[in-house]
Amino acid sequence: MSDAATTRRKIQVTVNGRQAEGEAEPRKLLSDFIREDLGLTGTHVGCEHGVCGACTVLLDGEPVRTCLMFAVQADGHDLLTVEGLAPGPDQLHPIQEAFWERHGLQCGFCTPGFLLTIKVYLAENPDPTEREVREALSGNLCRCTGYQNIVKATLRAAEILRSEPENADKASTKTTQRD
Amino acid sequence: MAILTTREVKGVGFTIPRPDGADKVTGHTRYVADLNPPGLLHAKLLRSPHAHARIVRIDTSLAKALPGVRAVLTAADIPELHPNAKTRAHAIMAIDRVVFAGQPVAAVAADELAIAQEALDLIGVEYELLPVAVDALQSMQPGAPPVADAGTEADTSEALAHSGVAATESQDDSKAVNVAQQTRLSRGDVAAGFAESDVVIEHTYRIPMVHQGYIETHSVLAEWDSAGGLTIWTSTQGSFNTRSEVADVLGLPETRIKVVPMECGGGFGAKIRALCEPIAALLARATRRPVRYVMTRREELAAGMPAPRVVMRVKSGVKRDGTLMAIEAETILDSGAFAGAVLTLNGIFLASLYRWPSFEVRGVEVLTHKPSIAAYRAPTAPHTVFAIDSQMDRLARALGLDPAEYRLRHLIDEGDPMANGQPWQKNGARACLERMIEHPLWTGRAEWAASGGRDGRGLRGTGLAVGGWIPGIQPCSATIKLNPDGTLNVVTGQVDIAGTNVGLAQIAATAYGVDFEQVSIVTADTDSAPLAGLSAGSKVTYTMGAAVMAAARDAREQTFKIAADDLEAAPEDLEIVDGRVVVRGVPERSLSLADIGKKTNAFMSNVPPVLGVGSLGFSQQAPAFAAQLARIEVDPDTGLVVLHDFVAVQDVGKAINPLGIEGQMQGGAVQSLGIALTEELQFDDDGRLMNPSLLDYRKLTAADVPDIETIMVEVPAPAGPFGARGVGEPPIVPAPAAVANAIEDATGVRITELPLTPERVALALLARPSEDGLSA
Repeated sequence: MSDAATTRRKIQVTVNGRQAEGEAEPRKLLSDFIREDLGLTGTHVGCEHGVCGACTVLLDGEPVRTCLMFAVQADGHDLLTVEGLAPGPDQLHPIQEAFWERHGLQCGFCTPGFLLTIKVYLAENPDPTEREVREALSGNLCRCTGYQNIVKATLRAAEILRSEPENADKASTKTTQRD
Repeated sequence: MAILTTREVKGVGFTIPRPDGADKVTGHTRYVADLNPPGLLHAKLLRSPHAHARIVRIDTSLAKALPGVRAVLTAADIPELHPNAKTRAHAIMAIDRVVFAGQPVAAVAADELAIAQEALDLIGVEYELLPVAVDALQSMQPGAPPVADAGTEADTSEALAHSGVAATESQDDSKAVNVAQQTRLSRGDVAAGFAESDVVIEHTYRIPMVHQGYIETHSVLAEWDSAGGLTIWTSTQGSFNTRSEVADVLGLPETRIKVVPMECGGGFGAKIRALCEPIAALLARATRRPVRYVMTRREELAAGMPAPRVVMRVKSGVKRDGTLMAIEAETILDSGAFAGAVLTLNGIFLASLYRWPSFEVRGVEVLTHKPSIAAYRAPTAPHTVFAIDSQMDRLARALGLDPAEYRLRHLIDEGDPMANGQPWQKNGARACLERMIEHPLWTGRAEWAASGGRDGRGLRGTGLAVGGWIPGIQPCSATIKLNPDGTLNVVTGQVDIAGTNVGLAQIAATAYGVDFEQVSIVTADTDSAPLAGLSAGSKVTYTMGAAVMAAARDAREQTFKIAADDLEAAPEDLEIVDGRVVVRGVPERSLSLADIGKKTNAFMSNVPPVLGVGSLGFSQQAPAFAAQLARIEVDPDTGLVVLHDFVAVQDVGKAINPLGIEGQMQGGAVQSLGIALTEELQFDDDGRLMNPSLLDYRKLTAADVPDIETIMVEVPAPAGPFGARGVGEPPIVPAPAAVANAIEDATGVRITELPLTPERVALALLARPSEDGLSA
């Protein structure tokens, strides 16, 4: 392995609204940087080749597959991971709320990638049809749910967001219950 | 079993979102790969690129010299490793011969994953290639290259653990090379049955290996303490089973091992057996550091434990009026390099899902130079029902009879003998089919077929199928305690892979007499939890639900005994209303559960704490059935099968949490549709997987499937808690047959090989009109 590949580079990002800094070898994947260096393990790795979508985060507001990016490519950029989706501690984003209530999750491993994909999709398409939602989510794999309750949860989240558009970025009306 | 409460509490039967959902939507749920203890090392395995080869030499010196590498192990470093390994877990690493492409030959632990990966490239392995047996038919022939070491006994514990239905006959004599197991079930005079038949149909059905497809790959973290104790954090469907297997592989007493079951990111049968736990433990022992091993997706596909390839030749004969006469079948089950398939259930469903008066079904489990198999949700039932249901559909069409009515006429009932002689237990197979036949998509199938499809050129059809599973049983135990604040806490060792913990809490709530919110439940590790069985075989709610119910009843009795003294009433005169123990008919004489809980935890108190225990063994299984319907359109040019509508009917016994069951039915149906339409592990002639990525191993996406309409019917299971049956496995069973039946309905073409890809369907359409398979 050449020195160029293993020399650590400094990486500065804004993640979930906070400044963060780390060092990584150029060969380090963004998914590993987020999980190991930033300590945000809610971003899951399901296939390492960009198909399953579990590792999706938002980079400058756009969904990216972090298993297909190097950490150095995120230097100077803004990241949103699942940990930053809720408007505050003890609060849930309407998409999170809808996924929980409508049983849009089972094992939970694919869930973060879906949530972030949906956040961007609903911002662009606030009132989608079921068919449109199915197409929009076809880049994310889930093996437990058969997708149906994910689709229902997405439509429900769209409904909440349309009725209370401020929810997209502010507090959800419902607080998190930890049982 | 009667519900014990005197008024309805929020418990059994309520739709309740799973409490762990909050952590799952916020990213706080911890999976094995999220654990990052101080000093953590990362493991990688060097895997054989060849399916069958002798290992001439392994040179690890360069890898060991790489900075950051802490251990490199080969078979020579592992005294626990023996030839004749009976399971994949025992075959930690190839000793001197690799038997499938992807088998580990060396293991590395390093400071960073990238270093471990780099070290693999520095390990030199010289192989001497040996002839391969990739296809089961070829592998069964005399003189075929051997897979297992001579003298290796077939492991059948998977079959027993999963379903527990015993065969009455097995054949161990005249084993050909690479034949691991043989079974034969027969009754009556099959030859005479065929001689008297007016219509005989024979087909050969082929289903490739498919992968269970969980999104979280196999993951494990192992660490030893200074006293020689081993802790394993793992993604497993059964922590006690993992403990036993690892103890056996490593020659350790079980008390030296603690298994901590982490959140399981999907298992579907593949995480029943140990796989990576032993090598992680050995690397941790060699380095005296915690070692984490997470399989890549490529490794999962190429060297996981998929479902077997199954080939079934089925011949069935009937009278002109439809009377069943005889069925004969041969099943070849290709298990890859290690045995362990569930063979008997295949014979039972082939021969005795319908009332065949005479049958002879033979099955062989064959080893090949491919990755070895594990369970996949109702193991081999989708395959078996694809064959038998296709046969029934063909017979009905050949006779000009309504295919659904034809099935109903011959479907088993409670008390009918299974092929192994045991009676069928009470079940809802008939109820599911009857419910489906009333569905507008079934009654409207002629209109759909006549409606012509896109541009009037599409071919439209409707198919249904019925199938199921005989869920397993396993002893288990649970405790429930009353807290000082009056809430309840259930402890089990049962891994929650399907949202079962919320259902167990609901059972506890109803059986004790409080609302669900008053009950918390925890899955504890093997040191802390009472014994629990596998979370497999559709049996968690059926078995652990009964144990939790017994524990809650026990706790309720203990609570009443304490309250009776205070309230000066007989325990049998007490009831629980709104969190208070009340003397029936005298509401002013009451005591809150918190009052009672505090008494049992007060300094100098002499009141014993409430600790309900449920510890049960089981003898009665409860068959679980589903019927599914597919309304499809076939593109006549491309062969693409488009699903327009899909209906799933299932007998759930009693819906403890309808929301969770609906999720099982939908998820199972889509997995079933994946087997039907797209999924196939494709091996080349040298035994190498040709599609080891999710680009090429095609799983269904949200855009591929329509809404799954779910309909539950409730035929109570006599021994199930509140009548509940297992629900996890039945929904994966019927879809391949339902879709194949729909394709014949649409096109007149019967396809007997899965998956029903556009290419396969288009070729079948091109070949029309084909010989119809009728001999009469």
